[in-house]
Amino acid sequence: MRHYELMVILDPAIDERTVPASLEKFLGVITSGGGTVDNVDIWGKRRLAFEIAKNSEGIYAVVDMHATPELAKELDRQLGLSESILRTKLIRPDAR
Amino acid sequence: MAKRDTRKPVIKKKANPLKTTKVEGPIDYKDTALLRKFISDRGKIRARRVTGVSVQEQRQIARAVKNAREMALLPYSSSAR
Repeated sequence: MRHYELMVILDPAIDERTVPASLEKFLGVITSGGGTVDNVDIWGKRRLAFEIAKNSEGIYAVVDMHATPELAKELDRQLGLSESILRTKLIRPDAR
Repeated sequence: MAKRDTRKPVIKKKANPLKTTKVEGPIDYKDTALLRKFISDRGKIRARRVTGVSVQEQRQIARAVKNAREMALLPYSSSAR
């Protein structure tokens, strides 16, 4: 198990109240595979430094989790397929 | 080269901005308030001779800035003109 930090930028058009639920659905991959989700921090709507897919804002969320490399990679892949997700970043904070 | 040894050093060492702001451990790309101190107003990463941090710290800063840029937390370039 490795500690991962995942940052997601979601489409600002979606309702902010549905964000925790939809993130939970994606994170099901981790929990069902034996990993643990330690913390989900939703920053809320934030101005982007530049436009991403014609959006000047985005909903930011940061997830702390412990997972195997395969699980983390799979989650990142699934997030990338979703239309409502502008961008993701998967980082291992202790690998440096 | 004895002459050079007697010469007083002219270059004054800059105060390390990380030490003065008391930043511990690895530099986090999410800490944009800190990273903004190390970029110019055009959004470019400031050189080490300007910031006065160590080689290792500069490398961490550069990586953090680049990660932050990818997530649109910091601009790639802000052409004010």
